[in-house]
This record gives sequence, C-alpha cells and structure tokens, in this order.
Amino acid sequence: MTTTEYREYRVEEYSVKEEPFYAPLSDEIEIFTAAYKQKIPVLLKGPTGVGKTRFIEYMAWRLSQPLNVVKSKNKKPGPSASGNGMIPLVTVACHEDLTASDLIGRYLLDANGTRWVDGPLTRAVKAGGICYLDEIVEARKDTTVIIHPLTDHRRLLTIDKLGQVIEAADGFLMVISYNPGYQNALKDLKHSTRQRFVALEFTFPPPEIETEIIMHEADVEREIAEQLAKLGDKIRNLRDYGLAEAASTRVLIYAALLMKQGVAPRRACQVAVTWGITDDEQMQRSIDEVVTTIFA
Amino acid sequence: MTTDDSRQASDLGPEMARIEKELERFPGAVLEKYRVARAELDSRLRPQDLLDWGNHALAIAGKAVRSWEASAEYLEASPAVQRQLPSGQFIRWAAIGGRLCDDSPSLAVSFFKASPDALTRLRPRYVDDWANLGRALYRGTWKSSNLACHFYEVSPQLLESLTFAEFTRFGESLQVLSRRSYDLADECLVKAARLFPRLGEERDAFITVSRDLAEHSWREVKGLYDAASTSLTALEPVHRSRMLSIARRLIAAEQVNIGEFFAGASNAVNHVPAEFRQRLLELAEEPLAASPASVNLLITQAPAILDRLSPSQFEEWHREGMRAIDESPESGPAYYRLESARARESLDHLSSGVELNRVKEILRTYCRALSNRDIEVNATQQIVDKKIGWVNEQSATTEGTTIYLPPVADRFSHKDENFGWYKVIATHQSCHIEFGSFDFDFDAPSTMFQDLRPEMHPAAKPKTDLAATVAELVTDAIPGITETDPSPNASPNASPNASEEEGGIELAYLTDMGRFFDLFSDRTLGLDIFTVVEDTRLDSRILYEYKGLAASYRQTQAASLSERPRIEDLPMREAMVEFIVRLSLRQTGNLKVPKGYTDTAQQIRRIVNMLSEISATVEDSAEAATRIYAMIADVPNNTIPEEDFEDVNLDDEIPDEEEENTEEILQMFGGEGESAGEEPADSSQQDEQEFTDEEAYDSPEDVDYRGEFKPEMAQLLSQLSMDAADFDGEPEPITQEQLEELLKNSAELEQADMEEGEEGQQQQMDEMLQNLMKEMQQRDPDNQRFGDGPLVHVPEEGGPLEATEPNSFVYDEWDFRANDYKPRWCIVHEKEMAEGESQFYEDTLAENAALVHEIHRQFELVMPEMYRKVKRLEDGEEFDLDAVIESVIDRRTGNTPSEKVFWRRNKVERDVAVAFLLDMSASTAEAIDENKRPTDDWGAPDDPVEYMVWLRSRRAEGLRRSYKRIVDIEKEGIILLTSALEQTGDTYGIYGFSGYGRENVEFYVIKEMDERWGPAIPRRIDRIAPLHATRMGPAIRHATSKLIKVDAKSRILFMISDGRPQDRGYSREGVEKEYAVHDTRVAFEEARKEGVTPFCLTVDKNGHDYLKTMMHDMNYEVLSDISMLPTRLPQLYRQLTNA
Ligand SMILES: Nc1ncnc2c1ncn2[C@@H]1O[C@H](COP(=O)(O)OP(=O)(O)OP(=O)(O)O)[C@@H](O)[C@H]1O
Ligand SMILES: [Mg+2]
Repeated sequence: MTTTEYREYRVEEYSVKEEPFYAPLSDEIEIFTAAYKQKIPVLLKGPTGVGKTRFIEYMAWRLSQPLNVVKSKNKKPGPSASGNGMIPLVTVACHEDLTASDLIGRYLLDANGTRWVDGPLTRAVKAGGICYLDEIVEARKDTTVIIHPLTDHRRLLTIDKLGQVIEAADGFLMVISYNPGYQNALKDLKHSTRQRFVALEFTFPPPEIETEIIMHEADVEREIAEQLAKLGDKIRNLRDYGLAEAASTRVLIYAALLMKQGVAPRRACQVAVTWGITDDEQMQRSIDEVVTTIFA
Repeated sequence: MTTDDSRQASDLGPEMARIEKELERFPGAVLEKYRVARAELDSRLRPQDLLDWGNHALAIAGKAVRSWEASAEYLEASPAVQRQLPSGQFIRWAAIGGRLCDDSPSLAVSFFKASPDALTRLRPRYVDDWANLGRALYRGTWKSSNLACHFYEVSPQLLESLTFAEFTRFGESLQVLSRRSYDLADECLVKAARLFPRLGEERDAFITVSRDLAEHSWREVKGLYDAASTSLTALEPVHRSRMLSIARRLIAAEQVNIGEFFAGASNAVNHVPAEFRQRLLELAEEPLAASPASVNLLITQAPAILDRLSPSQFEEWHREGMRAIDESPESGPAYYRLESARARESLDHLSSGVELNRVKEILRTYCRALSNRDIEVNATQQIVDKKIGWVNEQSATTEGTTIYLPPVADRFSHKDENFGWYKVIATHQSCHIEFGSFDFDFDAPSTMFQDLRPEMHPAAKPKTDLAATVAELVTDAIPGITETDPSPNASPNASPNASEEEGGIELAYLTDMGRFFDLFSDRTLGLDIFTVVEDTRLDSRILYEYKGLAASYRQTQAASLSERPRIEDLPMREAMVEFIVRLSLRQTGNLKVPKGYTDTAQQIRRIVNMLSEISATVEDSAEAATRIYAMIADVPNNTIPEEDFEDVNLDDEIPDEEEENTEEILQMFGGEGESAGEEPADSSQQDEQEFTDEEAYDSPEDVDYRGEFKPEMAQLLSQLSMDAADFDGEPEPITQEQLEELLKNSAELEQADMEEGEEGQQQQMDEMLQNLMKEMQQRDPDNQRFGDGPLVHVPEEGGPLEATEPNSFVYDEWDFRANDYKPRWCIVHEKEMAEGESQFYEDTLAENAALVHEIHRQFELVMPEMYRKVKRLEDGEEFDLDAVIESVIDRRTGNTPSEKVFWRRNKVERDVAVAFLLDMSASTAEAIDENKRPTDDWGAPDDPVEYMVWLRSRRAEGLRRSYKRIVDIEKEGIILLTSALEQTGDTYGIYGFSGYGRENVEFYVIKEMDERWGPAIPRRIDRIAPLHATRMGPAIRHATSKLIKVDAKSRILFMISDGRPQDRGYSREGVEKEYAVHDTRVAFEEARKEGVTPFCLTVDKNGHDYLKTMMHDMNYEVLSDISMLPTRLPQLYRQLTNA
C-alpha cells in the first residue's frame, strides 16, 4: 500500500509555520518590519539566488510571532483566515501571460451557472496577508494598473466584474521582487510603479555570512562552506571583467549538497557552479582554475 | 674539286668591283666597313665564298630603307664570325641574317651585333636555331621587335651559363610569355640574364618551372624571377632542386603565388636546423597530391613549429596533418596554418612546454578573480624592455598592476605540470597584490609587534649629499610644479610620507616603502630580509587560503629548497640570510648556522613563525624585518670552515617571546644611539672591513617561484594610477630629483650590464631615470602628479559654431574639466552613403550560410513571443475561448459582456526601434587575422607597432594572401544581423560615423530608420570604409535625435566600435583621452534621459580600461575575439530586445 502524503492549503491559509533560516545581511529585517507596520509596500531588488524569497518567508513568519501581534494589538492584527494569528503568505510567480484576472479572480461556469472565484491577490487582500509578486517585470503591463490603487494610501482593490471595491485588511502588504536583469531594455519597472515601494537591495552576502548560510542549508562542515563562500566571492570579482552573471548563493549551496553526497569537491563545483554561470570556454577555464586553487 | 673551287680571285675581280661600286649607293659607313672586312677576309675566304659574302652585304643593304645599317653590322661582325665558323657555315650565317633582315632590319642589326660574342659559345650548327628563337619572338610589332632584339643582345650572356638545350627552352618560355605581354617577357629576360649565372645546376629545373608557370599563370612569372634571385639562390643547391621540383608540381596542381612560395619557403628552409632541411623538403612533398595548398604552409610554418618541437616531434605532428588530409583534403591548409583545433591539439600534445601567450588570458582572469583588481598579465620581457630596473626575463614579478611571467614554462615534462608552475608563480605574484605587500603604510601599526618604526630614524647618509639633495629638491624641481611654490616652509602640510630631518626641513618620500628602507644603513640587506619575511607571510597565507593549490605549492617549495646553495659554503652573514630563506621554504631538519648563532637562529625562527599567522600584515613583516636585521647586520661576513657551523635544533620548542630589548634594536637603526655617537654607521663598517677579511655582502639567490620582489618600485609605479582614482584635492607633484634620489638609493634596481667606471654608471642611471619618467607619465592618467606643469584648463580655440550648410546639425559637447557643456561645439554633417556594389553583401551571406541559417532560427524562436496572441480584440483571427466564456458569464450575471472576444497574432509587445552606429574610423582598417582566436595567436606581439611588423612579416611569408579589416567584420556583422532583423519587423537604422575635428563630424546614413529595405542598402553597406577619426559624442547625439523621433516603446542605440573615442583637437593636449571618454559618456547619458537604451560593443581588447568610465552603468561588451562579432552581434541584439 502506498500513500502519498501531502498537505493542501487554500492560498490564504498558507503561512510559514516553522521558523525559516534567514541570515540577515544588514538592516533589512528592521526596515521590512517598519514598512509592514506602516503599510508601505516593499520592493526586493537583487540578482537571482540571493535570498529574496527566503527573506519574505522569514518575515512572514517573524511578523506572525506573538510579540508582533501583541505590539499591533490596538491596531487589530490582520484577521487571518486560519485564525491562528499567522500572517498568510501568498506568493505569485509572475510570468508573461499573467493577466489582471489571474490575480483578481474570475467567474467560472459550472452546472448551476456561474460562480465567482477570488484570485490570489484578492484573497490576500481580504485575509490581510503578504502578497508576494515574484519577478513582477515578467507580468503583463495591465497588472500594474491594479497594483497602483493597492499600493498607495487608498489600499483598494477594484473588482470590475463584481462591481466591488475591497478595502485591504490591516495585515495586507504587497511585496514585489525585481531582478534588474542584465541587458534588458524591454522589461523595466515604470517609475510610477517603482515609487510606490520602498526598495530593499539584496546583494551577495559577505563570505562570513554566506559560510553560515551554506553550512546551514547544506549541513556541511564549516571548512567546505568557507571554501565555497570564498569561491563565490572570487567569482563575483569577475563581474567587472566580462562575467555576466556571478555565482549565486543558491549554486554554492547546490555544490555543497553534492559534496555532501560524496561528489568530489572540484567536480561538484564544476557542475554546480562553473558550468552554470557561463558558456564562455575561457571564462570557464579560468573559473576552474580558481576552483582548483581553492579545493583540493 | 668543283669548278667554283678552282675559280681564281682574279676571275672575280670585276664582280667584286661591281659590288663595291653598288655599295657606294649606301651611306659611306657601309663601304668603309666593307673595305676593312674585305681586307681581312680576302686571304681567308675562297674567292667564291668571298663573292657570296660580298653579295650578301649588298643584298642586305638593299632590302629596305634602313637595312644598310644591318649590312654595316654584318660587315663589321664578319671577320670575327668568320674566325669561328667553317666557311660553309659562315655563308649560311650571312644568309640567316639576311632572312632576318627580310623580316626586320633591326632584328638583323641585333643579330649581327651579338654574333661574334654569341658564336664563341655556340656550336656552328646551332646558329640557325638561335636565329629562329629570336625570330619567333618577333610578331611584326614594335614591342615584339624590341624584345627579339633584346633577346639577341643578351644571348651571349645567357649562353655563358646555359647549355644550348636550356637556352632553347628558355627562349620557348619567353615566347609563351610574350604572347601575353612583351613588356613582361622583356623584364624577365633582363632578370634571367642576371639570375642564371647564380643558379648553378638548377638552371634547367628553373627554366622548366618558369615555362610551366608561363603557361599556367603568366602574370606570376616576374615574381618568380624576383623571388628566385633573392631567395632561391640563397639555398643550398640540393635544396634548390628539391624546391624546384616541388614548385613544378604545385604549378601543375594550379597553385598560385609560386613567387611567394619561393620567397617564403626558402626563407623558412634556411631557418630550420641545417640537418633537417632536406628532410623538411621531403616531407613537404607528401601532401602534394592530396592537398597542394598545404605544401607551402608546411614549409613556412616549420621554423615556428620547430621552436616548440624537436624534428622527430615535428614529423609526428606532420603525420597527424597527413591523417587529417586523408580524412578530408580541405582540412590540410587550416591544419598547417595551425588554425584547426586538431593541429593545435597535436602540437600541444607533442610539446609539453606551455607558452605564456596561450594561457595569458586564463591566468589574467584567474588573477583578477583572486585579487579583485584589474590585473594584466604580460611577458617579463615587457618590463625588462622598459629598462626601469628589471633585468631578469626568467623571473616572475609585478609592479603592482601587471603580473609579468616568463614566456614559457617548460621545466617539466608534462604540460599540466608546466601550467601548474605558471599557476603557482602567478598566484604568488597576484597574492602580493591581494594580500597587500604593496599597501605598506609606514605609519600603520603592525598587529603582533611593538611598533618601532616611529622611533627609528633614517640611516645617516653623507651629510653633504643630503644637504645638497634637499637644497636641490627645494629649488631645482621640475619647472612649473615647484616653482609655483618655492618656499621650503610651504610644504610641511603636504605629504603623509614626510619624515623629520635634522634641519627641520621635511623630506618627502615618494613611497612608504622607500621611507622604510631608508631606515636601514645596509639597504640591500634590509630589502633581502624584508623580502624573505614578506614572502614567508605570503606563502603561509596562500597555503591557508588556497588549499587546492597547497599540494603543488608545497612541491614547488621543496623543489626550490633542493636548489638552494649550501649554507656552509656561504660567508657568515649570508649564511644567516640563507638560513631564513630555507626556513621560509619549510626546511624541517638539518639546518646549520655559524657556531655561536644558534640562539639568534632560534629567535629568527620565532619571528618567522609569527608571520605564518594568517592575520599577519605587511607591517608585521616590516617590523619583523627590523628585528632580524638588528640580529644579523653585525654578523661579520667571513667565510669560515665547515666545522664552524652547527645544527640548529628545529625540534626545540620555539623560544618564548622574551622581553624585547628595543633599545638594542633601535641602536641598529641610525636612530639616537648611532647619530649621537661620533661615527656614522658606514664609516664604522668601513673601519671594520679594513681589519677583518670580511667579504662584500651578496644577496641570496632568488627563490625561483617567488620571482623578483620590488616593493618600492611597485609602490612608486602603482600609486599614480591609484591616487588618480581616490585621491581628492591637489596631489603632491613628483620631481625629477626625488626620482633620482630613489634610483640612487634603492636596492631594488638592477642594470643589465653594469658599466665600468663612474661615468658609465651615471649614464646608465640617467637613462633609467628617463625611462622611469616616461613610464610614470604614461601611468598618470591625468598628468596630475607628473608632467610639465600644473594643469590649467585651456579652452580649445574657437567658439561656438553655426550650422550653415544643409543637413548639418550643431551639438554641444561636454567638457569634464569645466564640468559644463561647450555650447554649439560640434557640427555633424549628415550624408547619405554612396552606393557601391552588392557583391560584398551577397558574398557575406553566401559565405556564412550556416551562420545565417542559425541566426534566422534563433530569431524565429523570438517570433512566438513577438507574434504572441493578442487577446480581447473586437476582431481577429479566431474566437478567444476564455473571452467568450467570460462574455457568456457576464451576460448571465447581468454584467455588460465584452465584445472583445477575438484574438489575433500581432506584434504589439515587440515595439523596438534601434539605431546602429558604426565606427568608421581609420583604425578599423587594421587587418585582423580572421581565423585566429586570441589565445592562439601565439607569437603575436602586443605592442601595436611590433604587431604590424609581425603581421607584415607573416604576410610576406606567404601565409596570408588576403586579409580582412576590422571594418569588414563590422560590415559582416551588420549584414548578418539585418538579414534577421527584416524578419522581426523591428524598426532600425544603420549609420556610420567618422570625422576630423569638431566642425567635421561625418555621419553617414546607410539605412534611415523609416526607410524600407531595398537593393540600395546592400550597396551602401559596401561603401562602409575606414575614414578618419572617432568623435563619438556628436554622432551619438545625432543618432539619438533620430531615435526619439520614432514612435516605439523601446529605443536602442547600438554602437559598434573598435577603440576609444579619438579626434584631433579634443580638448588640450594631455587630457584628450579623458575628455573624449567623458563627453561620450555624457552623450550616452543624454540618450538615456531621452528614453533610449545605449549599448556599446567594442572589439578593442583594452576596452575594459575606459569603457567602465565611458559607459558608466550602461551596458557594454568587449569582444575579445573580433572574429566573433558576426556571431555575437545577433545574440546581443536578441538579449537586448528580448526577455
Ligand atoms: N540570507 C540568507 N539566509 C538564508 N538563506 C539564504 C540567504 N540567502 C540565500 N539563501 C539561500 O539561497 C537560496 C536561494 O535563495 P532564494 O530562493 O531566496 O533566492 P531569490 O533571491 O529569491 O532568487 P530568485 O531571484 O532566483 O528567485 C535559498 O534557498 C537559501 O537556501
Ligand atoms: Mg526567488
């Protein structure tokens, strides 16, 4: 007998229950907390794999903790649908075909006629959760139109189809992420959108912190983690000299995970790091040399 | 006996008289010559023959108007000719000449004239043939007659070195040639006459070759003669004949450029080892049948290949080439040109040595990654050539920004090991930079020592000298800098590197390192100790930080250790230094020092050990060096017997740090202790020397992998560029005297060959000073610290301009010094590009068919996105099911249903306008070697001048017949891209720019933004060519103005250039580069403000230097390999405009 175990949530009921591991890089936790309390939307900016998603998970958890709830008592904490005092985290990965109704909701036809179904944004708005729109630039331009009234003082979501306007619940916060992509002229955030957010810039963590992250995430020995962090740092030095994308924390963690499984360190770095970041043979060769200088 | 024979001369009397009489009709010379000749011949010819002879004279003279001249020559030559020919032949000769005269009197003239000489070398029976050979060249025209005459004239000369058979064949080859061009044939004739005597036995073979060539490719024949006379003759005869036989077969195989082949191949043959020449030519015959084009390459490449391979390896390499040809004959030339991966791999495989040029880029990127600095990697020769104190081409070194490595690594039998060696030495040098050897700060505290530096004083120098120097410094500095500030009191504020002198005058040190070394009375010993100590620190740090390298690093250390001199062989002080070197190389046992110094040795060990801590800094090294110096500077440098050395027990615990006797240490440093005493350090040492048999101190041998360490020079040379970056305010100027002072004192400078005598040394010193000043001026980007005067901004002459002509536009220009625009500063003249042929366009597409296909395919992938379904339209291709359902729902729920229920493919998302701006500056005329990758152009010098020489010599060697220029590659790129752009529907314009001076910025329209593609455009592309200078700013501004007129969501300005902006009169001398870069940057920024996205693609390998400034935070790319441009351009374009 095989059973597949899985958990199923309604989007607005999903919240981060366990404390995620997050190593702060600077004051982003304080800033985010302040912004959350002041209902200022937040934009997370930075290259891939530097912990933006992880950060938002962590913040969702952290802001749900009793201390915070207590603090904001007089303001009546966000009425979370699950009623456990946790702030729901609704994540939407944006893509090119994502339209406004994908966010707001739509009518569905069924046997009895039509039925309205709320989209993830609407649910987050109603449930007072954090709505995280990952890679917002990927979304179609019309989505920005609905974001605007939600992200200024009005905090309103207009649902044309229903002829409704929904006032966001207290705990609601819009968070978007944005990776100022390399050499891309077509996709850029409009200024009117950008200036509705406070921006937190994520950069690659310094080696000491990155070491901690790798150790924690891959459960490897400090020495390995240190060396990987060093490798990351060295490779990032090359961004000024022709390397388009540098090695992210994520690929370093991958390398660590492979090593953990017994893959030889140099080989692990090669498949997880070197080949992942560039196709330029000469660059690969140079990076390989850095790898073999660091790893025995 | 015939009746004729018996005729008596007297019988003929009347006849002869008649002849004489008749000859009177002609100019007097004829009769005169007749008489002279007859007087001679009378006795020698039989009467009948004499009569015939006379009749011929008469006949010839009467043939045509000017044939009397021929007759005169005939008569003149007769006596001499007669002596050589039997009488029957003699008359025949006359008859032959007569027939020639029928054709052309001048032919006959030449024939007769040449006869006496020619006949000394010609058998009588060949006279007829000879005449015919010349005759055959004559075809009734003036030119052909000239040629034929000339032929007769040089015949005697030719016959001197040719057999008649050869002569005949040569004549025939001339005939073939003359059918094409008489002039050419004539030139060859002249050359041949000079060439044949020098050609030896190979004449025949050569004539055959020239005849074959005349038939196959007559234009080349002259080149053949030229090449033969310069190069073929330089070969040994055996090689000559072999070469000729190869040439013949090449001609048969329709290979062209035989002349070049001779020139290149002969040269090459003479450049391979003598014993291999014959073999090389044998080998060269092997590809003749299957791949004749490879033959020349095989020979011409041989010298270069043999630099890396032994002859037997060479044969091995050639075997591989033959296998390649077997598999595919076309692959031969690429193989022998070393352009195929197979050839290179085989070569690499065969030669284990690694050449710097091949790994330079890899090492550079590697070092940049480690150090996070803009490091260059170059061959040691480059710094040696600068003659600024480096002499050893085998030692790695750095002056703080460039790492210099020896040209080849070949100490191991395996390539990997050799590369490993490079890596170790490059890492060591790069770590000097990374771990701060050159960041030494005199005033910075150390981390593990009590800082004694602040309490130390510069070692005493002879007083007069110092005083003079200071005085000089103050008064006689470089005009323009210090003159502005002549008061000695005005400088105390200035340098952080100032130390107090007794007289209260501040002496500015150029470098902290220099200030430090000034503490040592024996600077050389000080530098030696500091070097070992600092290298120890560095090596420990490297072993700690770079564990992957540790194994080979340790091996290298062990190898170096085994090559050290025996401590026991050295005089005592040197032995102590060697002891430290060995400690630093981790020798673990059997270390000796002179008796009585074991305690000192243990103390040294303690200090050296401290530096193995990873937290140690360069200041720790400095403090350590002072301690060690204090311990051993007094050790007499005597040679002592081996028994007088004793073991240092390295198993002993390292002694605990005792309370340091700082007094004692300080005493060694010209501080109070010494200067208080009567005697300066120098003189006391001198005294000692007089009484002992002390030897002069010699520095320890370099540790090979550590190379040369010159921290003072490095600080001096690297501070200029660094200061410029982060130095605010007026930097301290550097004076020539300061430099001289540095040169005089520094222990780091070496000279190639020490001249004897003071004068020679002074001269060398002066030269070095000049070189150093030159070097520093180059490094100081703004001439801020080193120049011929403080910089005052002088506005360029002239004022604002007016655009009066049609199609001219005025633009402002940014002046970074004034931090403002110069209003109406440049005029752009816009012109439509003239039309050429569409051939280039078509050829490019045809030659790159595969690439074109690939690009189209890639752009097709873009399509689905561009032609993405646009939903919710009132009209369209089909119903949009989702929308229909929604609309139904709306109707049911009482909402107004949308009528937009259709979708259509439409390009709404993609709305791109791009202006391509092509650099048409003169420098784009530079040739590129199309098939070469940068890593592979080994042998190509970096210096542009040398590079051109190199390139030319390569061409001369016949390696290249046609070449591409940068501009051609630009064109190709644009062609390939536009063919794809048409497919996307993007709006685009193509413009070229160049110009000279600010009033003449030329802006060529190849395709206007709104212009439709048409046949004119390929023809305009054809005319893109290198013109003048590169004033980028106005061109960018003008292109921007065009872009913003186009209605598009994304506007892109795509510039393709080959170097930095340059133009005459770009601001004042000295800052043009800066000025140009800044104006360009501002122009780009203006574009960006207008909503245009700028992008710059450059093929300038040095582009990283200035592009960072020029493009600021805008995107750019530096193509390291220009031949990649056609491939890369479309990729970039897709990236830029696509998600
Ligand atoms: N500061 C951090 N603390 C803890 N983990 C981190 C941190 N930064 C990165 N990581 C690790 O790196 C991984 C990648 O981070 P994450 O997925 O958050 O990146 P991201 O910025 O969202 O990237 P993308 O833009 O590609 O979505 C995480 O799974 C986490 O393991
Ligand atoms: Mg993410």
